[in-house]
Amino acid sequence: MGSNELVSLAPIDESPSVSTATAARPRGITRRQALAAAVATGVGVGVVRLLGGSMQQISSTSRAASSTDWISPLNSVSARVMHLLRRTTMGYTAQQLETALSDGYDKTVDRLIETTPAEPPAFAAASTPGGRFAITDLQQWWIAHMLTTPTPFAERMTIFWHGHFTSDYRKTANDTFMYWQNLTWRRMAMTDLRSMLMKVTNDPAMLRYLDLATSTGQSPNENYSREVMELFTMGAGNYTEDDVREGAKALAGWTLPPPDATGTVGGRSLPVYTSQKTGVFNPRRAYRGSVTYLGKTGSLDTQGVVDRILAQHATAPFIANKVAQHFVTARPSTAYVTRLGDTFRRSNYDMKTLMHAVFTSPEFTGQSYRALVKSPVEFMVHASRTLGLTSPGKLVAAAGSGMGQSLFDPPDVNGWPNNESWISSNTVVERVNFVTAALAQAKGTLPSPTDAVHKQLDGVLSTQTSNLFNQAAEDRARWFIVLASPEFQLK
Amino acid sequence: MNKEIGINQLKRRDFLRAGLVFGAGASGLAAGYAAVPDAFARAVYAAKREGVANDNILVMIQLAGGNDGLRTLVPIADPALHDLRPRLAGPMVSQALPLNAQYGLNHNLSGVKSLWDKGKVAIVQGVGYPNPTFSHFESIRIWETGDPTRRQVDGWLGRTLATSYDSNGHPLTGCACGATDAPGALRDLQATLTVIQDQKKFGFTGGSEVEAAVGALYKGTPGIYGALFDTAIATATETMATLRTSASSYQPMADYSDKVKLVYSSKNQLAAALQLAAELIVTGTGVKLLHVTLGGFDTHYTELNRHDDLMGYLDSAVSAFYQDLAAHNMAGKVLIATWSEFGRRPKENASGGTDHGAAAPLLLIGDPVQGGLYGEEPSLTGLDGTGNLKYSVDFRSVYQEILAGHLGADSAHILGASFDRVSFLKAPVAV
Repeated sequence: MGSNELVSLAPIDESPSVSTATAARPRGITRRQALAAAVATGVGVGVVRLLGGSMQQISSTSRAASSTDWISPLNSVSARVMHLLRRTTMGYTAQQLETALSDGYDKTVDRLIETTPAEPPAFAAASTPGGRFAITDLQQWWIAHMLTTPTPFAERMTIFWHGHFTSDYRKTANDTFMYWQNLTWRRMAMTDLRSMLMKVTNDPAMLRYLDLATSTGQSPNENYSREVMELFTMGAGNYTEDDVREGAKALAGWTLPPPDATGTVGGRSLPVYTSQKTGVFNPRRAYRGSVTYLGKTGSLDTQGVVDRILAQHATAPFIANKVAQHFVTARPSTAYVTRLGDTFRRSNYDMKTLMHAVFTSPEFTGQSYRALVKSPVEFMVHASRTLGLTSPGKLVAAAGSGMGQSLFDPPDVNGWPNNESWISSNTVVERVNFVTAALAQAKGTLPSPTDAVHKQLDGVLSTQTSNLFNQAAEDRARWFIVLASPEFQLK
Repeated sequence: MNKEIGINQLKRRDFLRAGLVFGAGASGLAAGYAAVPDAFARAVYAAKREGVANDNILVMIQLAGGNDGLRTLVPIADPALHDLRPRLAGPMVSQALPLNAQYGLNHNLSGVKSLWDKGKVAIVQGVGYPNPTFSHFESIRIWETGDPTRRQVDGWLGRTLATSYDSNGHPLTGCACGATDAPGALRDLQATLTVIQDQKKFGFTGGSEVEAAVGALYKGTPGIYGALFDTAIATATETMATLRTSASSYQPMADYSDKVKLVYSSKNQLAAALQLAAELIVTGTGVKLLHVTLGGFDTHYTELNRHDDLMGYLDSAVSAFYQDLAAHNMAGKVLIATWSEFGRRPKENASGGTDHGAAAPLLLIGDPVQGGLYGEEPSLTGLDGTGNLKYSVDFRSVYQEILAGHLGADSAHILGASFDRVSFLKAPVAV
């Protein structure tokens, strides 16, 4: 496989030519016979043109592809830029791609990391008494922002932290708190772990979700104390059960913020919040006395707990590993995680430093082509944006559950699983059905699917996908193949 | 320069293991989980398998989050309970449904109680394992893999599927009902299984034409996820064909309802999941190992109402399921078993809840069961150093009885060892 030359982004033939062998086939992808014919047919010259003549070795039969990896185009700058955008944005328009290509890889990385996150518009129902609005409204509010934000990387990081510092709306039982948490996670996403952990600890949704709001020094609740070490910072095996108990004492005292007013709904008096607030520390509920926590004894407040956690060697590689699994590869090597962790710790846990190290590492830029599975939300938003849908929010919010991802409703305190866990007989059907529904929403003339093959999929297609694409008779069928393809599920 | 990975299909399994399973990062986060099995098998394993001699069926119900054993099987006569749980003990004792002088069932388990009265409920007390972990995810993995040493990556039911059934071409042999991804217990790279969240929605919009297109699209997919994708699509397609037949011939003979009162809503539709399980069983799809989940048992807070409601939900769904199976003359084949990653701390906390614990009872329900209490009664005064109940029955003893006694599978091979018997089956087949 010699010159893995790049994807040409120059305009190409809008109507891909087809193999003459199947010139008489029925239209579209809607005939079983056509598909059988497509599968049976070898790759015609049209596919080679479609792929820019150089991308994927596709002269072999379709079966041969099953034992190979994707042919990585990452030695080309333009492919690296697209690889970066797939993993750091909510999908990209042709214009955004042009900008990134003209800026080049390094400048694009800097822009992604350094640009201050755009705030979403205020959520209208936030002051509903008791936060009792439909969670789907909040999901759609977030999805709308993902689709239009000028700073999509902030949304990728917000989802990342939402799956890491997990809370769900069911137990939180006040959707206003979930809204606030989303705002907080976005604002803190690229700061430093020390200040983040303070914001996480006194976040009202988190105070509810992991029960710190009801913990007292006299009778501590261990839930938050355990998960802040096991799932948020250090990982199991790096602390003792005594640390869990002693940490619970030290962290006790936080309570929910008092409401601004009360409102009556259905005869019940419910809290009303008109502005965002954090938890309130009540010293009378705190533990008075000394604790022995992570190897040191003395009186300890919440900041002290955070600082003890940051002093542990396990913390930096734990976060680095999670970031690497999310952004680089399903199973990062120990050496890679150690390297990233060292960088992270030396920077005083600065997220910009960590993410810069990730996106400029050879593991990211050269070795991880299509090594990750898009999460359902990424897949759906990417597809919507690529298709140019104007208001897919309701569809995206509803369709996530069958694929295993509903925003504000992660499966458990460990957040969402990733990569291979996104693939099951149920989820693949739901992904395909989403494509069908999204195409039904796409009215009028569709963007060029051939363009999408180049600009979204680097022109790197499997034999099956290129065959089917090339044989399809019209653009809707081609779009279906692009978006339902395994290629589009990967990043 | 790109290096092609020149591996044939059989070696891809090893590649997946090397690349995805064992190459975990430094922290060990999520390390050890096998890839979703649903993936792989059909592409990889063509070999027919033999091993199981009967057509018995197992339904595992996961009570996720750590079910409070002391509120499930209540030690009604033990004064120590009131010392440990000054706020929680009163109502749970006074309302319990007595089984004998010492123990009663949670008052919302009235359907289970009536099955108990007919000798169809076995409760194994004090189930756990040595040196318990109090991490949900570590303990879940231990229960799922059947390996407290955490070396095993495949699920115990996944290994059973792989070693004892011919699931190749029969993806419904193992099925996770009501889930979107495969539970760890069913995972094994050599086993095929189906995952169906909601039967009503399980099909391609656009019907057979879309199905054919997707079937053509997902063949020979390159990359480390290629076989996973291809097998998931093939499995889904085969399962849809089966369900089209089964749905038309199945008539539920019980009242399944997920409209239940809960302190906060459930992520899982337990009754719908069990109804799908019943349909697969009574219509003869060949299903053998089923898994459903009810979450919400991590009751650190306001446990009183939350746990009682969950018990009621479990009770109504399981009662309907048993009734449906019995009406279809299938109850004799089906063993229902609950599991949870741990019990809860005997001493209550300040939030009106309980923190993570250790040993707890398991419920085994169905006609194959020899009703009664098994295992040692755990002592509320002889707690371990962490303030938790000591276990008396290794959870793998329960697995062993299920595997060998109910399914007729090679338990020692699947679990890697033999364990003490716990004889809760009426007529164990091959222990």
